[in-house]
Amino acid sequence: MLFLLQTRNMKKIFTILLCSTLFAGTLSAQQVASVSGVLTDAQTGETLIGASVEVLSLGKGNVSNEYGFYSFSFPIGTDSVALRFTYIGFATEIRTIKPGGNIRLNVALRPEGSVLQEVVIKANVLQEKLKSTEMSVATLTTKEIKALPALFGEVDIIKILQLKPGFNAGSEGTTGLFVRGGGGDQNLIVLDEAVVYNANHLFGFFSTFNSDAVKDLKVYKGGFPAQYGGRLSSVIDVRMKEGNNQKFSGSGGLGLISSRLTLEGPIQKDKSSFIVSGRRTYADIITRQINKANQGKEDYNPIPDYYFYDLNTKVNFTLSPRDHLYLSGYFGRDVFGFKNETFNFRFDWGNATGTARWNHVFGPRLFANTTFAYSDYQYNIKNILQGFFFNLDSKVRDINTKVDFYYQPSNRHTMRFGLSSTFHDFVAARLKAGSDDGRVSFNSGQTFDGMEYGGYFADEWAINPRLKFNYGARLSAWQNEPAFYVNFEPRAAANFTLQKNWSVKASYARMNQYVHLLASSGLSLPTDIWYPSTEKVKPEISDQVALGTTYLINDKVLITWEAWYKWLQNQVDFIDGAELFGNDNLESQLAIGRGYAFSPLELEIEKKEGKLTGWIGYTLAWVKRGQFRDINNGKYFSPRFDTRHNLSVVALYNLSSRWQITATWVYTSGNIAWLPVGRLSIQGIPGEQFQPVVPVYSERNTFRYPAYTRADLGIVRKFRYKKWESDLTLSVYNATDRRNPYFIFLEPELKDTDFPGVQIPEKITAKQVSLFPILPSLTWNFKF
Amino acid sequence: MKINNLHILLALLALFATSCNLTKEVDIKLPDYERQPVVECYLEPGKPFRLLLTQSYSFFDPFGLDSTFLDKTLLSGAAVTISYNGQTDTLSNNLSVDFSPLKLFNYTGQNIVPATPGIDYTLNIRLANGTAITGTTTMLQLVPIDSVVIQFSPDIDTLARALTYITDDQSTDNYYRRLLNYSSLDSFPEQDFLVSDRVVTSKIIAFGTGYELTEGDTVFNTIYHITPAYYDYVESYQLAISGNANPFAQPSPIKSNVSGSANPLGIFTCLVYQRDTTFVRR
Repeated sequence: MLFLLQTRNMKKIFTILLCSTLFAGTLSAQQVASVSGVLTDAQTGETLIGASVEVLSLGKGNVSNEYGFYSFSFPIGTDSVALRFTYIGFATEIRTIKPGGNIRLNVALRPEGSVLQEVVIKANVLQEKLKSTEMSVATLTTKEIKALPALFGEVDIIKILQLKPGFNAGSEGTTGLFVRGGGGDQNLIVLDEAVVYNANHLFGFFSTFNSDAVKDLKVYKGGFPAQYGGRLSSVIDVRMKEGNNQKFSGSGGLGLISSRLTLEGPIQKDKSSFIVSGRRTYADIITRQINKANQGKEDYNPIPDYYFYDLNTKVNFTLSPRDHLYLSGYFGRDVFGFKNETFNFRFDWGNATGTARWNHVFGPRLFANTTFAYSDYQYNIKNILQGFFFNLDSKVRDINTKVDFYYQPSNRHTMRFGLSSTFHDFVAARLKAGSDDGRVSFNSGQTFDGMEYGGYFADEWAINPRLKFNYGARLSAWQNEPAFYVNFEPRAAANFTLQKNWSVKASYARMNQYVHLLASSGLSLPTDIWYPSTEKVKPEISDQVALGTTYLINDKVLITWEAWYKWLQNQVDFIDGAELFGNDNLESQLAIGRGYAFSPLELEIEKKEGKLTGWIGYTLAWVKRGQFRDINNGKYFSPRFDTRHNLSVVALYNLSSRWQITATWVYTSGNIAWLPVGRLSIQGIPGEQFQPVVPVYSERNTFRYPAYTRADLGIVRKFRYKKWESDLTLSVYNATDRRNPYFIFLEPELKDTDFPGVQIPEKITAKQVSLFPILPSLTWNFKF
Repeated sequence: MKINNLHILLALLALFATSCNLTKEVDIKLPDYERQPVVECYLEPGKPFRLLLTQSYSFFDPFGLDSTFLDKTLLSGAAVTISYNGQTDTLSNNLSVDFSPLKLFNYTGQNIVPATPGIDYTLNIRLANGTAITGTTTMLQLVPIDSVVIQFSPDIDTLARALTYITDDQSTDNYYRRLLNYSSLDSFPEQDFLVSDRVVTSKIIAFGTGYELTEGDTVFNTIYHITPAYYDYVESYQLAISGNANPFAQPSPIKSNVSGSANPLGIFTCLVYQRDTTFVRR
């Protein structure tokens, strides 16, 4: 309440701005005609996000929104005007119209011919980045994603993102994302507007996103638009393909550890389409055969089963020229199991999401998207021993409804506003164990539910040709009886164009997070628990300011520098020796504190066109957590991912239309680790073994690992045979075979004594474990 | 209750790291560390008051494997008393060994620890350098083993398991440590479970083994009824050990229940237990 009172003045200003803008929009609407429509790919019918629309005579333009919708206004009486529609990788289309009334103009752009042409990025992406008020944004193309070398040849969106400045992987080979000093749970990952709570397979080594099914990816690490809320540090907005509404087609691939197949086609040409995409690993098929061949052999321990799979589906229907319906879903599971005559163990985990979206065009200036989304993440551990059972599970489930409006009262204002509500259902570490006859019974765990509400308004205001201002706010609320929180989240961003090819930008964003992942500061695990805000565990808050400049050289190379500072409140960590399982009071194991992170230098040099494309990214940053009453006596400490220097170089070179070479090189300061400083011996109690070396830990995270360096190489050979296109991709991960530190442990060498069971340490050495040596892999991709 | 479902993954990782020569020795510098006194004092009914007082080392400090090892490790010259029920027993600085099972003590008192539940004990130590250590604990009620049942597998009739049952008092918070040894109490424990009855919804608690016993095996079941402080202490040093070797584990400082100007580590607790020795036979 106090905070709300303090922000009353800000709200007044906000209300006046809103009213004046709407009024101005109404006035101008009476004097202009407009053109609006949806931009699509002529070959597949997919909507094009961020394609450019430019009025040649005025030299002004706009871009299509995330639903492909665009709108532009003209003064009434203007002579015929030529509109130019452009999108990288597509042939430019020019249409001439006679302004008068409200013209609806849907345009389908034709892809420029090339082998294995992928749906590509934002049109004039470098120009758009220069002009936009958006800052702290990372974009990736499916073309880049698929061409770059990958661990085991498994193309992974998240791992490519880790090569962008401001992102940190946390540890080698995993899909962890620590964005601008934020925690791994502070990323809002949405797939077709449904939240993905755990975007990992195989304990974090692969992400859940099958690149064949992904159409577009946009990531915000700061300057968050007001339509996003609920996480502190990043928004990763992944959109699935809609399916080809022109012809039946397919694509897929065979890799070292998994295979993929995607089928798509029209249900009714031009009006509706479908896409189904699946991926599955097959190591278990091989290990089962090995187990079968060794069955009955003495001393043979069967290899446990492990596999994961993903299934993406989507259908869309054009209901009328103004209405479009999209239904999409994702289901993925990891399964780890072991079974013999007396033991039956199964551990499975995964996400499920479902989205129904209805796009409605009210008129040339107003567009609405209504979404109903479902998502859940759960893990289950089951063990059955004759007469006894053991089950452990956790779950988080969301049911979300929201409506988003896109309103363009004039060419100078683009407004967004909307409402959302989400029902959250949590099961936190539910343990059920006991005997089949019921004599023995163990039960623990907690269940919660909560409601999250959000309402927002934002206006992108082109004050003059040089100055753009994006202001807005989000009002969010959380209810989990008896806890109730309301938070005001102002957002602002500005772009001032100094020269045609040079702009400066600034942004501020406050974010609130009402759900928290209870994860140790070790590595991410599927058994990490999502936990709601309660009276004790208050919503996490971040405030981030960023200042930057963007400079475009010859329309080809974009240099972006940003400096940022982020304040974090109500950060959640474990107390020392926390006990998560078999505990009905998880909050007793939590510590609440603060944090901050800053970078004076986050630099990206991008080249998106030509034979040689790629980027160089560098971040110099500091990250701290502290003021936890029960950790380090409240003193600040570095989290594991506080890596000072992060440098990445990514290059893609087209030798010819059939050959492409790719390379990445990464240098990162070592991760922070908590290593023991001392040791003691514990002789223990009768029946317990003498412990000659028990590590003594003092303050958290005082040691930094050696620096991490890795070079990967890739070669792509493309083939074409009639309607079939294919490529062979050779990836070499860690091409220099460098031994990077994954973790360091201290190993005592023990010596037997004359006393049975008693060993004494002779020498202690530090051992570094590396995870991956040089790993070549070959992947065959096809398309028809 | 500790659950470790990642041992197979870790084993595979370790196997992979070893087979590809992915482990190497490195030189690292750890922060400076000041040695701390370490107390291990378990008050066992029917046994004398006795205590092991040692000191910790900086992690990379060299080990003295000669005759001076004990001198460097044991802390001598301390004044140690344990007070209870208005009495004070002074423990003298003498090295003694209990061979059943093997345990070493460097301070021993005159009195025998009474078995009466509810008695509060206070430990006072004044080290030779003038610093002090204090601690308190309470004698708990014995929780007996109800039964140990040997069951042979219906699938492989040569293999058996042992099921151990105890009855929990649900009106109070109780903590247990279960140790299971095969062949002798000096052997490496096959099971070492810490259990809090917060999660137990039945009166009966069962501890089981897998079908891994064969006819003729001997099973030593020990159920300790322990204090919350000892539960935290054991859990913390087990986490400290696993945190050093396991990248998925969060380390923990050792949670001691002794304190004072000497900045000590360690435990002062009572040891209330029942042990059952079972021979596996049909």
